[in-house]
Amino acid sequence: MFGKYKPMWGEKTQLKSSYDAVIIGGGLHSLATAYYLAKEHGITDVAIIEKNYIGFGGAGRNTAIVRANQRTQYNVPLYKEALDLWPVLTKELDYNLMFNNCGNLNLMHSEAAMKAARMTICTAQYHGVESHLIDAKEAKELVPALNISEDITFPIHGAMFHPPGGIVRHDAVVWGLARGASKYGVEIHQQTEATAINTRNGKVVSVETDRGTINTSKVLISAGGYSASLINKMMGIRLPVSVLTIQAMVTQPLKPLLNHVVSSGAYHCYANQTLKGEIATGAHMDQWPNYTTQTTAHYIKHQAEALSEFLPCLRGVRFMRIWGGLADMTPDMAPIMDGNDQVEGFFFNCGWGYFGFKSCSAAGKHMAEFMANGEAPNILKPFNLKRYEEHKLMGETAALVTYTPDN
Amino acid sequence: MMTRFNQLPTLRIDPTKKVIFNYKGKSCAGSEGDTVATALYANGVRVFARSLKYHRPRGLYSLDGECSNTCMEVDGIPNVRTENTLAKQGMEVKEQNVKGSAENDMMAFIDKLDWMMPAGFYYRTMHKPASMWPVAMKQIRKAAGLGVMSPDHVTPGKFDEIFPRTDVVVIGGGPAGMQAALAAADKGVRVIIMESRPWLGGFFDYRAAEYSKGKPLYSRARELAEKVEAHPGIRVLKHTSMVGAYSNNLVTGFQIGGEGDSFTERYVEIRANAVVVAVGCIERPLIFDNNERPGVMQVACAHRLARTYGILAGEKALFSVGHDLGLEAAIDLYDLGMKIACVADIREDGQNPELLLELAKRNIPVLKGWVVTKAHGSKQVKKATIATIDGTITRDFNCNVIVASAGFTPITGPLTLAGAKLRYDSHTNFFIPETLPEKTHIAGRMTGLEDSMAIEASGTLAGIKAAMDSLACTCCGSESASEGDSEGDSKEKSSSSSCCEACDDAALKAAEEALKALPGPSRGTKLVTAPVKGRKSFICFDEDTTIKNIKQAIEMGFDVPELIKRFTSAGTGPGQGGIPGHNLPLFVAKYEALSGVPAPVRPTTVRPPLVPTLIATYAGTNHIMMKRTPMDEMQRSDGGIFRKIGVWERARYFSDDFECKAEIENVRNNVGMLDGSTLGKFRIHGPDALKALQRVYTSDMSKIKPGRVKYSAMCNDDGCVIDDGVVIKIAENDYYFTTSTGRAGQTVEWVRYHTRYDGWDFNMVNLTDSMGVINLSGPNARKVLQKITDEDVSNEAFPFSAYKEFMVKDTIPVKAMRLGFVGELSYEFHVPSSYMVSLWNMLKEAGKEFGIKNFGVEAQNVLRMEKCHIILGQESEQRTNLLDLGLGFLWDRKKTDAKTVGAVALAQAEKDQTRFRLVGFKMENNGRAPKDGSLIVDDKVRGYICTARDSFSLNEAVGMALVESHMAKIGTRLEIFEDECGDQRIYGKVVPMPFYDPDGSRMKS
Repeated sequence: MFGKYKPMWGEKTQLKSSYDAVIIGGGLHSLATAYYLAKEHGITDVAIIEKNYIGFGGAGRNTAIVRANQRTQYNVPLYKEALDLWPVLTKELDYNLMFNNCGNLNLMHSEAAMKAARMTICTAQYHGVESHLIDAKEAKELVPALNISEDITFPIHGAMFHPPGGIVRHDAVVWGLARGASKYGVEIHQQTEATAINTRNGKVVSVETDRGTINTSKVLISAGGYSASLINKMMGIRLPVSVLTIQAMVTQPLKPLLNHVVSSGAYHCYANQTLKGEIATGAHMDQWPNYTTQTTAHYIKHQAEALSEFLPCLRGVRFMRIWGGLADMTPDMAPIMDGNDQVEGFFFNCGWGYFGFKSCSAAGKHMAEFMANGEAPNILKPFNLKRYEEHKLMGETAALVTYTPDN
Repeated sequence: MMTRFNQLPTLRIDPTKKVIFNYKGKSCAGSEGDTVATALYANGVRVFARSLKYHRPRGLYSLDGECSNTCMEVDGIPNVRTENTLAKQGMEVKEQNVKGSAENDMMAFIDKLDWMMPAGFYYRTMHKPASMWPVAMKQIRKAAGLGVMSPDHVTPGKFDEIFPRTDVVVIGGGPAGMQAALAAADKGVRVIIMESRPWLGGFFDYRAAEYSKGKPLYSRARELAEKVEAHPGIRVLKHTSMVGAYSNNLVTGFQIGGEGDSFTERYVEIRANAVVVAVGCIERPLIFDNNERPGVMQVACAHRLARTYGILAGEKALFSVGHDLGLEAAIDLYDLGMKIACVADIREDGQNPELLLELAKRNIPVLKGWVVTKAHGSKQVKKATIATIDGTITRDFNCNVIVASAGFTPITGPLTLAGAKLRYDSHTNFFIPETLPEKTHIAGRMTGLEDSMAIEASGTLAGIKAAMDSLACTCCGSESASEGDSEGDSKEKSSSSSCCEACDDAALKAAEEALKALPGPSRGTKLVTAPVKGRKSFICFDEDTTIKNIKQAIEMGFDVPELIKRFTSAGTGPGQGGIPGHNLPLFVAKYEALSGVPAPVRPTTVRPPLVPTLIATYAGTNHIMMKRTPMDEMQRSDGGIFRKIGVWERARYFSDDFECKAEIENVRNNVGMLDGSTLGKFRIHGPDALKALQRVYTSDMSKIKPGRVKYSAMCNDDGCVIDDGVVIKIAENDYYFTTSTGRAGQTVEWVRYHTRYDGWDFNMVNLTDSMGVINLSGPNARKVLQKITDEDVSNEAFPFSAYKEFMVKDTIPVKAMRLGFVGELSYEFHVPSSYMVSLWNMLKEAGKEFGIKNFGVEAQNVLRMEKCHIILGQESEQRTNLLDLGLGFLWDRKKTDAKTVGAVALAQAEKDQTRFRLVGFKMENNGRAPKDGSLIVDDKVRGYICTARDSFSLNEAVGMALVESHMAKIGTRLEIFEDECGDQRIYGKVVPMPFYDPDGSRMKS
């Protein structure tokens, strides 16, 4: 009764007793790293160890927005590379990732916000990334549903328009990368939990799992929101990471209404229309650390209040689903990609907060290079852990973040 | 129009009152109480919509809105579930997602192309060549989505919100829910009962079967409903759908307003001590070929259509059911005049013999172990094929209605949202809760009970338990008697005690006994699909997902229902898991078992809202609250242009000239007045107040002299500046201090957090809202002040940086400071908010002759920039430390004992040569000011412009920038990159700060 369809990421196999590299976590950063390890560095004897199923965490819970209009010169090139990789990966993986490069419109509601936007736009333009500051009228032309009147809580002053950004089908990236990696021989072990990393003489020697011990000299933890606790538990490293629940939701599907991703910092809200026609919206984080993915009554209401103001036609649209995921926030909203330092063969990649999706391809590519060569490529060097020790935050966020316990 | 029953005692329509609405441009009449869909059905409409992907015709299926089959555009709002939306006079009803009409949709040919669209086909197609994708994407977007929303649509109606607090909330107004509400209310607690239909009664409401001798179920329903509505302890929220459940028994929902209500819809958020979930069951769809063809409907749909709305679904029906309610409906519908071709029952045995007898009496053939396998007819059922469960023998029947149902499935969403974990129960074939959330009880049909008495008894029991959960004991101190008390002394609690309501468990025991004596949960059916290949057998209607698609997904390696849901979209449409929620896990488990990998039946995740909810409804009254200062009204009447700044509304400008020339010049030449009330204002007092200040402020706060103002800063652990402000010692161990506007909300917590292990004795009061601030600045400021006070305010008596307290007109207590933020002679008056208007008026009056005028936040911004006074967040960002800002003089290195927050980081950063540094700059060749936020570059980004303006005071462009420290030397040329500048650059030069009045003689004189 089985037809012509084959398992996309290989038949389920036994866990071997050793691999050249082990990756803990079956999300996008792990899958991308495995894919590039195999494709670009010939390291194909790789096991991905995933406690649930691939794409269980942030990979399957984000709202799939991609862009390269970050704030600092360290981040912009990385995100630009990631953005440029979507069409490339679509071709390489021979899997339609459904990149809709519709552009992102980031609304500004004050003079101060316009200034902040200009700095980001200058940084983008300086690095060859298209991004423009436009006024409210121009924004309205791009998104006719916008309310640019003065009588809303945060009237729209203008916007940052970033045409090359857009939306990618996140699940497709998970499945495409899994299939791509598995074609090279990478093994994906779902429903398998890594429990410890064993070291000897400062070197990684093996990984313990609930299905047995795996000998390996290289291990990467990139398990999204769960990374920081795993790294702490397995390696005793305490990271400056707060894990917060972030929520997102979709409306019932509509015919084309929003042709761009629209977001607003003042309203804590973004909205975009998926190819299926749903308006996907979110942005809020609970302000207290927790590891649950529970949603809150307050948030969906807040979201409705915000959308009612700046996209008022959506008042006549119905929410049909809200969900939560984890965001591992660092103090400077920039990730930590480091390793092979105190313990040889131990690598980690985390702290992406809510930017983990848009960066996954480039981060995976360079982490693979890092793992293959043992030395961090230049583009990753600024993302080391040491910067926190030196009190040198990266500046990816201008404003003081408020998810520390004192707030 | 067909004839409708207008005398049935079960009717919920009023046949004497007509409701006229427009359907596709034509006038259409229904009866009051009709839903749009029932009215249309009565008018002969059978095809209500077309499906999303294949444009298959869709009809009335359940009446409860689990799928989008009857979604239409109503009054400009898309995706309205017309089957449970009441018809109203003048409504505009239109079809959606069709080319032509739902009846004749030109896109219907797509149904034949399904072979091109296996599960996840879009991931494997349309991307080669790459140039094809944008074209394809356009088509996908056009094809996707159901309804159309106009970008300038205005949702009509009034939306409101309520936040009731109650002891017990009962979700579900059926027999179990009503009994629960009555039982709880009889215990003396407050009860809210929510029911999604416009009436109480649940599945008793439409049934003519006997409840007790001579009393039909519908009479019982009405009897209970009357009791509930009459009970003073029960608040009845009818037409209210529950949509969310959260921690600590927070239940959300929305209510649809009826005639005479002040709202169209309103958001309902109920905080309850205890919850009773009695939401019953929905029918588990039967999967067979064309199982969603118009004419195929669920048992309760056909039954309610007749009994509630007075409509016979068709002339001749074939029943394919797996439950006694199906048999009951067949009998009742036959008696009402419907021909019954046959009743195919999935069950080989176990039917209620009385029902079989009744069927036999009516000569209705019953085929046990048979099931419908195919609905024939292109737009509407014309014929049905039924077969034995193994598919070996088939028979055809002509009919125009197929009443089909595989069994029941409990509505578990309200439980899982609250955190219940489900397990599959092989007796009832229900997902039932393994554990229930705290103070949550379930009752009724969802527990598998079928017997009417048992259903009611389970409600009574749950109601008593919930009441006891929320009653505080008045005799022995125990929290409740209904559950074992795990925490602490329950010694006192005797199981037989009846000292108070909370402890009296006699009623509880009686209810338990009563339930035990009645029939328990009955056996459910397991059948998932009829014996079909599944190409046209739909497991999810909204997403056109077939059984075949599910098989394909499993073969491709998707082995978890949740993943299959994502890959095939099953259960992600407008109705979410309503149709596939139970069948998908069941089918996956069965299919995987066939391939030798036995898998547990794992439910997919149900997410809120349980019922699709309008954004307008969630938004409710849509109040986003902003704070206003005591001067708000006066400044507005003076022409202030306001902006939202943080939580405040502040006057940013006082004219249309956003460069604020007049405002600036008036401060520099005469005198201006600014409302500074948004500043954070605090009092800290107590023996250890100074220690706390030493901890959070970088300066040595022990050196504050009485009568002097101390400017200082707070840093975080990275040495980065989070706040600056002034501190005044108003008495021994008593200080008054200000913070920046943005930090006002967090300061108390900040100080507490950073002293949390010290056990210090101090108190803090946030005076931000109780005090207002007026800033009086300009060369004439003293003259103005002197006019309203007898206090000596001469430069000698009240010099720069001094602090004074005095009374104005013997009435207004003023805390006055000589400050110089804008670089002129300047006073800051802190007065109780209630006196602000008076003082403001006095100053305004006194200042008339000196040319006093308002100035706003932007003018202040320029004035202080010329003086190179920083505003945090403008000349700093998250990573900027005290030293970067050139404020190192505020850091006292010697007070190490104080463990000042950030001191360690500052000591480390002091040696770091690679940090940013705040510099002042002027433009080359007297050029214009660069735009704020422009970059300083060379071969890479070296910094950025914080604030720069063409200064009226200085007659040249000046500004401040954060640059890498090696560029901070006076004279360094700054290459400035503005947005859209292309290859063009403008240049500035680092100059000493401040620009205006460098020796400070103006602000000090």
